[in-house]
Amino acid sequence: MTGILKYGVRRTLMWNDIRRSRLLSAAATIFMAVSAMLMALTVLLGTNLLRSIDTLMEQAQTPDFLQMHTGDLDAEALEEFAGARAEIRDWQVSGFLNLENAGIMLGNHSLADSTQDNGLCVQGQKFDYLLDLNGALPEVQPGEVYVPVCYRAMYELEKGDVMQVGSREFMIAGFIRDAQMNSMMASSKRFLVHPEDYETMREQGQEEYLIEFLLEDGVKSSGFAASYTAQGLPANGPAITKPLMRMMNALSDGTMIAVIFLVSIVILLISLLCIRFILRLQLEKEKQETGMLRALGIGKKRVRQLYFTKYIVLSVCGAAAGLLTAWLLWRPLAVQMQELYGAPQGTWRIGMLSLPAVFAVEGIFLLSIRRTLKKSEGLTVLEALFPVQEKRERRRQYLLIGFVTAACMFLILVPGNLYSTLSSAGFVTYMGIGDAEIRMDVRGDGKSDAEAAWIAAALAEDPKTERCVLLRTKACQAVLLDGTVCDLKVEMGDHTVFPVSYQEGRAPGQETEVALSALCAKELGVTVGDVLTLQNSGREITCTVCGIYSDITNGGKTAKAVSGMWEEAPAVWSVLYAAWKEDAWKQEGAQRDAGSEETAKWRWMEDYRQLGADVTEIEAYVKETYGQTLSQIRLASDVAAGTAVLIIFVVTALFMRLLLEQNRYTVSLQKALGFSSCGIRRAYLKKGCFFAATGIAAGVAAGNLLGERLCGAVLQSLGAGSFHFLIQWERALLLHPALLLLTAALAVRVGIAKIGRIRAYECCMGKE
Amino acid sequence: MKNLLRVEELCREPILDHISFTMDSGEMAAIMGPSGSGKSTLLYQVAGMDQPTGGKVYLGGKEITGLSEDERAAIRLQQIGFVFQQMNMMGNLNILDNILLPALEENRVSHSRSKKELQKEAEELMQKLSVAELGERSITQVSGGQLQRACICRSMINRPEILFADEPTGALNKSAAAEVMDAFVKLNHEGTTILMVTHDSKVASRCSRILYLLDGRICGELLLQKPGTGTQKQREETVNEWLGKMGW
Repeated sequence: MTGILKYGVRRTLMWNDIRRSRLLSAAATIFMAVSAMLMALTVLLGTNLLRSIDTLMEQAQTPDFLQMHTGDLDAEALEEFAGARAEIRDWQVSGFLNLENAGIMLGNHSLADSTQDNGLCVQGQKFDYLLDLNGALPEVQPGEVYVPVCYRAMYELEKGDVMQVGSREFMIAGFIRDAQMNSMMASSKRFLVHPEDYETMREQGQEEYLIEFLLEDGVKSSGFAASYTAQGLPANGPAITKPLMRMMNALSDGTMIAVIFLVSIVILLISLLCIRFILRLQLEKEKQETGMLRALGIGKKRVRQLYFTKYIVLSVCGAAAGLLTAWLLWRPLAVQMQELYGAPQGTWRIGMLSLPAVFAVEGIFLLSIRRTLKKSEGLTVLEALFPVQEKRERRRQYLLIGFVTAACMFLILVPGNLYSTLSSAGFVTYMGIGDAEIRMDVRGDGKSDAEAAWIAAALAEDPKTERCVLLRTKACQAVLLDGTVCDLKVEMGDHTVFPVSYQEGRAPGQETEVALSALCAKELGVTVGDVLTLQNSGREITCTVCGIYSDITNGGKTAKAVSGMWEEAPAVWSVLYAAWKEDAWKQEGAQRDAGSEETAKWRWMEDYRQLGADVTEIEAYVKETYGQTLSQIRLASDVAAGTAVLIIFVVTALFMRLLLEQNRYTVSLQKALGFSSCGIRRAYLKKGCFFAATGIAAGVAAGNLLGERLCGAVLQSLGAGSFHFLIQWERALLLHPALLLLTAALAVRVGIAKIGRIRAYECCMGKE
Repeated sequence: MKNLLRVEELCREPILDHISFTMDSGEMAAIMGPSGSGKSTLLYQVAGMDQPTGGKVYLGGKEITGLSEDERAAIRLQQIGFVFQQMNMMGNLNILDNILLPALEENRVSHSRSKKELQKEAEELMQKLSVAELGERSITQVSGGQLQRACICRSMINRPEILFADEPTGALNKSAAAEVMDAFVKLNHEGTTILMVTHDSKVASRCSRILYLLDGRICGELLLQKPGTGTQKQREETVNEWLGKMGW
């Protein structure tokens, strides 16, 4: 029995079509598979991360509200507060013994340069547990220490290595996951020791308290935080809520997932376009065959069905390939997040969640294909049977090259610009930190004010310092016009020395002015020009909001004012910013024969550490805090660039090959009239490159302007409102466009390689 | 059947202008006329491939003008056969599968024939038109004449009431054209009604009736003896003489 009788019309036509156009079918399947894979990966990694974090936070019984406190602790007041509040399920005060980083050695590595607050602690009594890598509570023996897991890879540590604190040695018995402070974005790291060791080490560090509360289900931690502050309870340090901890945990790896998501959307759009274009060209090529089928009496719907079947099969293959690849890539890509947060519960269920994502992607493809097929049905039988050359349509098809190059340029530029922005020195101004080189934190008890003033005076006198400023953070309450009272930490001092980025307005210049962080202004519901009453120690000052700035530190909710307000009130903490003179270290290196500029800088910072300040070089701080995120964005940016180049090559080469197939008759006629293959090739190359160049120009504009808005919108939700790309112009305007143009030119050349094989006599043999 | 095809005041602006004629079962007619006179346009209107701007077409007593595209498609599939000048066949099917394609599509709805019956019918048709040995070949592996005869087999596979042909020999050489015309005459002898468009007087002379179209109107009609009767030379002379009078 013949093929069509044995397998039916639909199946025979479909297989024959796939066999006849292997390249096109493979290209369509690859587009569908890559889109499905990226979307599935986004779902898998995103769910994995959130589930891992949730599992860890659940196992560790993370507190809903945490108040850090330095200095004397009024335990009675806390007990009274906790006893009177029905929404408190449980509470505890844990100690954190903040150690001098210079005195800590982890294996062979000194933590002297670490920007983290490293300290010892004991296991939580009732909750806030530090868990080992199996999710269990480690049993610490005297002389043993459990090290934060994030340090394992960073310092190449193994069980049995030694941690040295001053003259005391601890054996590393294992590694712990800390649901609160796992992320490098959290500024402290807890090392778990035996209670006996904690007691003996007490003199070697400064003890801070973590006042922790577990709340009843449904109680909002933000509301609880406000009532805690309103009671005047110990609050000499930052406060943090569970959602904020969750966000901080999710942010570092979440950035990579967000970039994969962005890339998957762009790839999906490009794939949709390419498949639509492949289908349209196929329909164009087979217009007469389609017309013939319809003339024979095969209805429009049935013809559509015949074409659609092939794409259903291709989409099933694409979905299966995409799903399989995503499942294969999921584990290696999740290694880092699983190291930090552990394996999530219900891995099988997470795997299943990728199915709807893949179905959705393939559904979008099939809908688009169906739409294109339906659109092609507008032709009458005769129009399909006797097609008219559509020159304008062809020109429109050339626009596809422009569109794809524009999209690819966008794909390269946005992660690239994001990376250059985040890695530039100026980015700290979005983090609520002035564009300084050195930051010195002075925290602690009542002595800190005098200490900070003393260090400020020393800095001002220092010959290597170009400029410096002392900013004191004081706790106060903001009273809104409707009488609502909110807790506010106001950083006081001269904010014009190292200005942060102001989204609106300017830095405070007078005692009656206050600048608010974007998130703070949003929460208080005020804007520039509004009036706010600030209260401290019973004294009220009415201030005008003079500026709103970007800040993603301390949960993004801060305020700035000039010195003078409540001069007598003690600071919660003080920060000094300084910038060195331009040639300070060259001179110093020559005079002292210090060996290198770095050593001289280190010695200088060490001198100030001796004075009691926690000294951080901002570049190193950014590197350590955002290093992991930056390396992921860098990776994503490189992957995006590689993908973009591949897409441009495949799409352009494919397009040109199909266009040439469509123009076979014309090319043959041109040859018959005496045109050379070289000349025809040159004309195609010129046209292809022109559209590619136009697309690249559009992509550069979109990537730099639209991309900036897109990233700005994301960062705005985190508190950095006035985001601007810091663009590496030579890359954005020269290197990347040149790379894409070259790729496009090469692809056009590959796509039209067949011109030489088209014979002049072909035009005499048949119709176009 | 009397008036198997009835065309009343058919218009297709601006080409056809109030055309009326009828055809009985078993007739074999040709439409002739100069280029641009509307021959092919007329054929497409009466075959239900296009919607006329005025007038009516009845096939087997049923009006086909005014039907929806899907309804007309069903009529084309079940009641009409069509042969094109360009031998349009699906490039990704072999000759036999191309012939069977409309039959299988028709059978999807009617379920009137088994697969074996379909294969047998296709093979008989191919035998009749001398292309039996070409079934497994691709459409690029046969001559123009063979391909056109295969196209006729395809148009006949659903046993249509009438067969339309648009310049069926237009793209063929002399001997291939003769082979194709032999096939048409054979089918007509077996009772198939045929209406074809041609600009070749030799081809037209093998029909029993010729309609002459000028500027979208029928301006002459020639009745000949039944195809196959009388010598071909005599028929050609009669036709050429008549065409001369018509201004050909």
